[in-house]
Amino acid sequence: MSNLFFTYIPGTSLIHRLDPRTKIISVMIASMIIFKLASFAEMALIGAVFLILSLVSSIPFKVSMAAVKPMIVFLVIIFLMQLFLTEGTALFSLSGFSATREGLHIGLLLTVKFVYLLLFASLLTATTAPSMLTAGIERMLRPLPLKKAGISSFDLATMMSLSIHFFPLLYEHLWHLKDAQMSRGLDPGRSPFKTVYSLSVPMMRTAFRSAEEVSFAMESRCYQGICRTSLFDPRMQRRDFAALSAFVVVMWVILFFA
Amino acid sequence: MPIDVKGVSFSYNTGTTLEKVALENINLSIGKGEFILIGGEIGSGKSTLIRHFNGLLKPSTGQVIVDGMPAHEKHVKTKVGILFQFPQNQLFAKTVYEDVAFGPSNFGIKGKQLDKRVIHALQLAGVREELYDRSPFTLSGGEMRLVAIAGVLAMQPDYLLLDEPLSGLDPENKNSLLLLLKTLHSQGISVVIVSHRIADMLFLADRVFLMQDGRVSFKGKPDDYIYSTSSPLPDITSLMKDLRQKGIDVRDDVFSIEDAFDEITRVQKERMVR
Ligand SMILES: Nc1ncnc2c1ncn2[C@@H]1O[C@H](COP(=O)(O)OP(=O)(O)O)[C@@H](O)[C@H]1O
Ligand SMILES: [Mg+2]
Repeated sequence: MSNLFFTYIPGTSLIHRLDPRTKIISVMIASMIIFKLASFAEMALIGAVFLILSLVSSIPFKVSMAAVKPMIVFLVIIFLMQLFLTEGTALFSLSGFSATREGLHIGLLLTVKFVYLLLFASLLTATTAPSMLTAGIERMLRPLPLKKAGISSFDLATMMSLSIHFFPLLYEHLWHLKDAQMSRGLDPGRSPFKTVYSLSVPMMRTAFRSAEEVSFAMESRCYQGICRTSLFDPRMQRRDFAALSAFVVVMWVILFFA
Repeated sequence: MPIDVKGVSFSYNTGTTLEKVALENINLSIGKGEFILIGGEIGSGKSTLIRHFNGLLKPSTGQVIVDGMPAHEKHVKTKVGILFQFPQNQLFAKTVYEDVAFGPSNFGIKGKQLDKRVIHALQLAGVREELYDRSPFTLSGGEMRLVAIAGVLAMQPDYLLLDEPLSGLDPENKNSLLLLLKTLHSQGISVVIVSHRIADMLFLADRVFLMQDGRVSFKGKPDDYIYSTSSPLPDITSLMKDLRQKGIDVRDDVFSIEDAFDEITRVQKERMVR
């Protein structure tokens, strides 16, 4: 059993100590750059940036891989769609569909892009405590005119921190469920359809039930969502501005010179 | 042939700062036909341990051998059935019948034989016949739990493991579950109950293991367990102790209500004779 999926791994590295906003903005920049890039050489550079960051943060590589693993099915689907549905020079064909050289290129590139997104996101969640992450996002949303849309940044922050706290819970539940069904002989490798069905039906039930329980619990404690204070008060410091500038420069260099 | 656990250690999240040693050098053996209790506080490693018995977890070091086979072989899952905590959460199929058939059909059992097994398991677990074609989600919590039990029984395991099976049950359901386990045990099935509160089940057990911080801190007979550890006494034993203190000359080494009843009637008869 592995529950490292987007988990926070406590530590004292420079990246751990950065303000959550610095890291959130960096991941946003990285995502934009990753989707702009179009060559494998540039991809390799981004990979190098990721490796350096993950060394600096001393997050073991298996933690980042844990974020990619459960998504492999989707990644394979994305790859195959590109491979077979792109027009171009045919490589080989399979029951009427032909794989193309262009499809292979685009498919690989797109798959790598998604993997990178997951890796960078996992670095963010691995080095930032969930409460800090929420506080950071809440601060970033404050200047937006959300009131007009009928919600406050506090509401959003609450929703976010609830989802962040629900995630490991649901994940743990999924593992217990998998244990139970596998004890009854379920073989995920051999019967994927049965696996999805026998896991998703009970998962849905649990998710809805837990959501209902939490909302009752919040209501009975008079949750109003008007002014939510945070135990953590993130502050941008000199090292944040330094780190952010350095990251922007590196990304800019990759974008324009690679 | 037994379940042999030899020098098993296990850690969660190895290689990260979240690394957690959950089991440390466990050695024990569970024989065919035994009734075993595994006790220990919450977090002592009980659930982690039994997940090794049918290969759901692989030991970091050491090995688990079930009837001569390594525990991670698929066939072992037909021998070792596990009923997990809150088993009602595992139900998924359209009908109660289909859900119970899930286990055996995963091992290629079909047709008449499957039907026989499913019906037998449902009857053993005490699921009422009119529920067989209902959706499991329309049942009450207690009925759902019975269906989940039937789902494990339908695999016809030689070893039946139950993780905290009594949690959340009312006294009446507790008793009927224990009675069912007693019946299964008398049919030759090994029963292993895992619980953080084993005192009131001691009268059923052949042997007791106590877990503490990932190690086995006690192995032995129920009587020795009571006298050599500082664990809480079964309710019925404390009652007998109280009676003794009040000057009624009953034995206080009884763990089951039946034995207590016999003992009290014996003392009562003696008094009448005098
Ligand atoms: N998936 C997991 N990841 C990390 N640690 C775990 C996991 N499951 C259990 N643990 C830890 O391992 C120890 C033993 O847990 P467990 O076997 O569930 O104990 P018990 O069943 O006796 O309550 C506990 O300290 C628990 O926190
Ligand atoms: Mg447990």
